[in-house]
Amino acid sequence: MALSAPSKLYSDDVSLVVVLLDANPFFWAGANAATSANQPANALSFSRFLSHVLPFLNSILLVNQLNRVVVIAAGVRSCGYVYDSGGGGDGGRATGLCALLLRRLEEFVERDRKLCKDGERAAENASSLLSGSLSLALCYIQRVFRSGTIHPQPRGSPDGPEQYVAVMNAIFSAQRSMVPLDSCVVGIQHSAFLQQASHITGGVYLKPQQLDGLFQYLSMVFATDLQSRSFLQLPKPAGVDFRASCFCHKKTIDRGYVCSVCLSIFCKPHKKCSTCGSDLKQPSADSNPKADSKRKTPDA
Amino acid sequence: MPQVRIIAKNFMDMVAALPAMKLDKLYDNAFICEAVLRSLPPLAKKYVLQMLFIDLPVSAKSMEEWVLSDGFSKHKMAIDRLLQLRIFLEVVDRKKEPSYRLNQKFQGNLRKYLVSGGSLPREPMPSNVTVRLPTLEDLDAYALEQWESFLLQLINSGQTERLAGFNPSMMKVFQRGLLSARENEAPKLTENGFQFLLMDTNAQLWYIIREYISTSEGQGVDPADLISFLLELSFHAPGEAYNLNTLTDVQKSTINDLAALGLVKLQQGRKENWFIPTKLATNLSMSLSDSSSRKEEQTFSAKVVSTQPPLVST
Repeated sequence: MALSAPSKLYSDDVSLVVVLLDANPFFWAGANAATSANQPANALSFSRFLSHVLPFLNSILLVNQLNRVVVIAAGVRSCGYVYDSGGGGDGGRATGLCALLLRRLEEFVERDRKLCKDGERAAENASSLLSGSLSLALCYIQRVFRSGTIHPQPRGSPDGPEQYVAVMNAIFSAQRSMVPLDSCVVGIQHSAFLQQASHITGGVYLKPQQLDGLFQYLSMVFATDLQSRSFLQLPKPAGVDFRASCFCHKKTIDRGYVCSVCLSIFCKPHKKCSTCGSDLKQPSADSNPKADSKRKTPDA
Repeated sequence: MPQVRIIAKNFMDMVAALPAMKLDKLYDNAFICEAVLRSLPPLAKKYVLQMLFIDLPVSAKSMEEWVLSDGFSKHKMAIDRLLQLRIFLEVVDRKKEPSYRLNQKFQGNLRKYLVSGGSLPREPMPSNVTVRLPTLEDLDAYALEQWESFLLQLINSGQTERLAGFNPSMMKVFQRGLLSARENEAPKLTENGFQFLLMDTNAQLWYIIREYISTSEGQGVDPADLISFLLELSFHAPGEAYNLNTLTDVQKSTINDLAALGLVKLQQGRKENWFIPTKLATNLSMSLSDSSSRKEEQTFSAKVVSTQPPLVST
């Protein structure tokens, strides 16, 4: 499945960059502890991570007077706008970006923490709300209605398969509006969601090897305006993990059953499709289990 | 013998034509560095960002690997521009291979910007002192009015009375190439003058400013100082009042001239006087980018102007 976004000719290098920051405290606490034992060079606390991201945001505002930056934070139970550079009257100067953004981020994490019910200890693999933050970002972009947009997402926490449907919907609407989604993944695991997102929308997926040089990765790869991207050598992914989650149990599967009307995916045969309500043909007792199933394998 | 003067194609060419020492001195000012960066072609901006935190020179060959093959001409153009403006400095290593590193003052100023955010060149005056500040709409209307009356004066040089603004010799400088004068005849617009009137406001403004800077040297004002003041002006907030006593004498007389063009509005308070930048001033650095200067070249491509143009437009 090789759908990629059509290349567009951009007339100038004005950009609107919406950055989705993963502010999942469970991930960040764990990441720092785990990696610092094995590879001290790659230990990255949230504050050091921010010390790379903030200059990256400043660099976008520096490069063109008309550029705008919006930051959305994704937490465990909520996501929200944290910073918008176009809010002021003086055309997006980066005065006070750092102080304002840090303060708002703190407030956001506090609010998110309060939303987790008291006493409930989230699982270590709690994933952050990628789908919600993607939708927020896309709605904002639609409102602003500019065509030259990029969409980097420094992210670390693992994918939550329960968000599969929402995330894929967001990815397809991004593809429709020609918004490239770039992903910068921090942490041990790759993220299948983000690989697919970047592949389908024509963005860049990167998992930096040396995290204390994070700013250099960000400025070389992600700070590129859309016009220049067609001329520069950007990292290409080695392979994309196209596995889906089933709609009934939200498990990741690579073989399953597909409704022929609405293309919903199920891991076990059902009588009726839960999404569109059409009757599904049952596999007969001795039939080849491959007859009704569609195999999805990672493309090379 | 007719004098031939070459007009810089765009403002950045004028900056690039400054002697090396003056250019380096210009880069002491963080706002100049920002304005110059914003005027670069997009690929050049990227290269500067990438090199910002790298201390050792990077070889030209490895830079070529950053681009795909069909981007090579853009790559060459970007590198040439960076060398011309002395942002990239060439270093030849022992193997005689060229490599580039960033101009250190430029680099230092931009690093500071990235880490601590931008700042304003001067603080606006407190609002309890500044009364009767115009609203932004009033200010825009004022700027437009001033600019249009200046343009009118420019092309109606037959008027002998001196209207508020520039002295007659300055006006004559601006009119060179735009109007032609034959003896005993009223001046008429040349073809260049006609095209000048068709340019958009920013391009016209830059043309006038270029002439202004070129003649300033003859009056004993350092063009580098003027250039840096103008670029700094574009970073002020429109509509805010800034105290005149923060300006040097040269800058004060420049401000008076700029008020005649509609770039700033002068106001007097009880004890202090101030200037208020209009949108024309704050848009100055935006119009420096390549795309707008390319537009200008399509409509107005006078590169060589003689003081005695033979043609008169019909």
